[in-house]
Amino acid sequence: MTTHLQSQPDAQASAPVHALEVRGLVKHYPGVKALDGVDLVVHQNEVLGLAGENGAGKSTLLKALVGLVRPDAGEIWVRGEKVRLRSVVEAADHGIGMVFQEQSLVPNLTAAENIVLGSEGAGVRRGLYRWDTMRKLAQEQLDKIGSQIDPLARTDTLTFAERQMVEIAKVLRIEERTSHPPVIILDEPTSVLESAEIETLFTQVRRLREFASVIFVSHRLDEVLDVCDRVLVLRGGQSVGEVSTASAAPAELHRMMIGSTGSEDHYHDTAAERSDQPLQPRLVVKGLSGATFRDVDLDVHAGEIVGIVGVHGSGREDVCRALFGAEPIEAGEVTLDGDKLDLSGTRAACAAGVGYVPAERKIEGMVGPMSVADNMTLTKQKSRCSGPLVMPQKQATLVDKWIERLSIRTPHRGTAIQRLSGGNQQKVVLARWLVAGDIRLLLLDHPTRGLDIGARSEVYRLMRELANSGVATVLLADSLEEAIGMSDRIIVMSDGRATAEVGCPSGAKPTPLDLVKEMV
Amino acid sequence: MSTPVLATPDVGPTGDTAPVKGGPTLGQRLTSFMPVIALVVLLAALTIADPDFLTQRSLTAAVRTSAPLAVLAAGATLVVLCGGIDLSIAALCSLTTVLFAMWLPDLGGLTTLAAIGVAAAIGAVQGLAHVVLRIPSFIVTLGGMSIFSAVALVISDAGPIRIVDRDATKWLTLYVGGVVPMSFFVAVLVVAAISLVLKLTPLESFVRATGYSESAARLAGTPVDLVKVAAFTVSGACAGLAAIMLVSRNFSGSPTMADNLLLPAVAAIVVGGTAITGGHGSLWRSLVGALVITLLRVGLPIVGVPSAYEQILYGAIIVAAVALTLDRSKVLIIK
Repeated sequence: MTTHLQSQPDAQASAPVHALEVRGLVKHYPGVKALDGVDLVVHQNEVLGLAGENGAGKSTLLKALVGLVRPDAGEIWVRGEKVRLRSVVEAADHGIGMVFQEQSLVPNLTAAENIVLGSEGAGVRRGLYRWDTMRKLAQEQLDKIGSQIDPLARTDTLTFAERQMVEIAKVLRIEERTSHPPVIILDEPTSVLESAEIETLFTQVRRLREFASVIFVSHRLDEVLDVCDRVLVLRGGQSVGEVSTASAAPAELHRMMIGSTGSEDHYHDTAAERSDQPLQPRLVVKGLSGATFRDVDLDVHAGEIVGIVGVHGSGREDVCRALFGAEPIEAGEVTLDGDKLDLSGTRAACAAGVGYVPAERKIEGMVGPMSVADNMTLTKQKSRCSGPLVMPQKQATLVDKWIERLSIRTPHRGTAIQRLSGGNQQKVVLARWLVAGDIRLLLLDHPTRGLDIGARSEVYRLMRELANSGVATVLLADSLEEAIGMSDRIIVMSDGRATAEVGCPSGAKPTPLDLVKEMV
Repeated sequence: MSTPVLATPDVGPTGDTAPVKGGPTLGQRLTSFMPVIALVVLLAALTIADPDFLTQRSLTAAVRTSAPLAVLAAGATLVVLCGGIDLSIAALCSLTTVLFAMWLPDLGGLTTLAAIGVAAAIGAVQGLAHVVLRIPSFIVTLGGMSIFSAVALVISDAGPIRIVDRDATKWLTLYVGGVVPMSFFVAVLVVAAISLVLKLTPLESFVRATGYSESAARLAGTPVDLVKVAAFTVSGACAGLAAIMLVSRNFSGSPTMADNLLLPAVAAIVVGGTAITGGHGSLWRSLVGALVITLLRVGLPIVGVPSAYEQILYGAIIVAAVALTLDRSKVLIIK
């Protein structure tokens, strides 16, 4: 109760009031507890770092702070006042603004228009833009961060870094709505920037600290330690600890992020069962180029799991989709067991025994309203047909067999897949490629995204068993630990190119930091 | 390669318990049966308003009137199930009545097949335009609607073409078992045949997957483009068949004959409960929807509403039916 007292208005004089405080925030999604009682405090004029693996609850927490997600339980206090945030506008009214990971500017408007968009104020008179006023309003914002950008430049003529400055300037408009310093949230602001631009951004963040509080989120731990005053670590939807950046090392932060779940056993590493690889790789990729990747070489043996790691924008997702014929390629040759692989479309890839599990399970991986059975046999229709006709009995037998084999928890094979939990949905999506028994290459794009630890473990075991039975696997892991735990070999990609290859045999695994060194 | 050998999984070691909620709610079940309920209520209401309505003669007339509408709606339902819309059906139907009337003297008994074949081909072309050029289906078919209307006007010299030889369409004016009008029987047959083909083959999975989530369907390797083109082709063929039915009734072809059927056809689809967003629905539902719309149409004068109010009714019905059936939680952005 004493902590609560701190924030009571009448206690303001005696105790420091936090710029922002979160108490016991809880958010459930079907099958997943995204936030499980998060506590967080942001002090006046401080940069708070937020670290955690994918699925730790960072995004959900940030969304709750700007009113995009409504928590099931818990409280948010702004400057000693309990608030309910139901929209971005309400969050802005309380002085909380977010610079989004995916840039949210309208490309064909000028910087000035984007900055005042939604809060034109004096910039509009009788429904018409007053360009002089607009320009002045925008300039004021840009001046706050010392930016040289011309307010009348069209946004799509600006570089990524400049656009980010415009976004920050736009968010700073919330200062005009409140009488107190704002809280600015930066979600993965560096993921699209070059290293020189990152330095500029850091300068801006330090400048922001002079008159605002900042929450800074990044995958790159060195950055977090560099620019933040304090780092809060999230794991499994809970705040598990806090470190002062003055004393902490990346390794320590990492240990806190992965906790005790990063053990080898979690990944069902069974080196003994692995046989010697044949000389000829199953998948050979030579000089694959597309819109976002260039000259990628890659080979995967039968029974091998090759992880591809890289930061956001490295192009690894597109390489994965290209190998499935879902992304156009400009050049390159791909062979599977010596035969040229047709990359013109997904049907050809499916027919050749290539399987793909997309990262966006709910949108791309499954057809939500359709039954477990129909989802499972969607690709390999022959497995449930006799000639051109569907044989319901044949389908039922097959699907029930796989439901039992993968211990998929569903009331019935006819249940709509959207009513299953995330882990069980993912097992059905995986089973889709297994029912015909002709899978040769499996492309897994974040197969454990959004799954809890138990479900992850089951997916890992399934991946192992498939590899042991001879399937070649390309894995885009959800975290570096997962990539290291599951892969036999890891390819590092950055800026659309494969830049390094790190051996990852059982018993001689590299550390995440070894990989990070290659990634930046 | 053989099926991967997977160890027998130990049961229940994880916290990954499936939070399975109950089945469809009572409201959803009720909504699902709404079209049939509406049909019965309408029938009852009309009988109360005019006790003579529940006679074989007027019922026969009603189902006969509904036949072209039912066929039009059934074809377009396939496109809607795939997540698109076909706004060209009425214009294509009008054009086909003109073509039929013009070709009949030369082609004789083959005219029916030729007209339906051409309508199907035109539908296929629209489907290809949609798929290959990646244009939204409502734009393609809106353009098609305008083009077909204009072509029909040009080739018919903007007037009806009378049919002298009535033998070619006489079969449609017969009665099955002395009671059921042949045109309605054919409509039911068409709905049954298409539904059966969907049901018995993987096509239903393909159509639903395409309609519910095109990207998921594509990434599962289903023939999305082929299915869509096929849906437009069937929609075109159905417009052609509906045209023959109209000609058999009016003994002429006319460039505007079916133009007032577009709104009722769309209304029949949504009243039947097929989701305008794709995936959910069936051709049977549209058949019921067509009957509901037809009853309304013949019923309005009975209860004393001038037929000029008809269009208001269709407009209101479409909006209301979609409002009832749309799952808004799934639709983030309304375009």
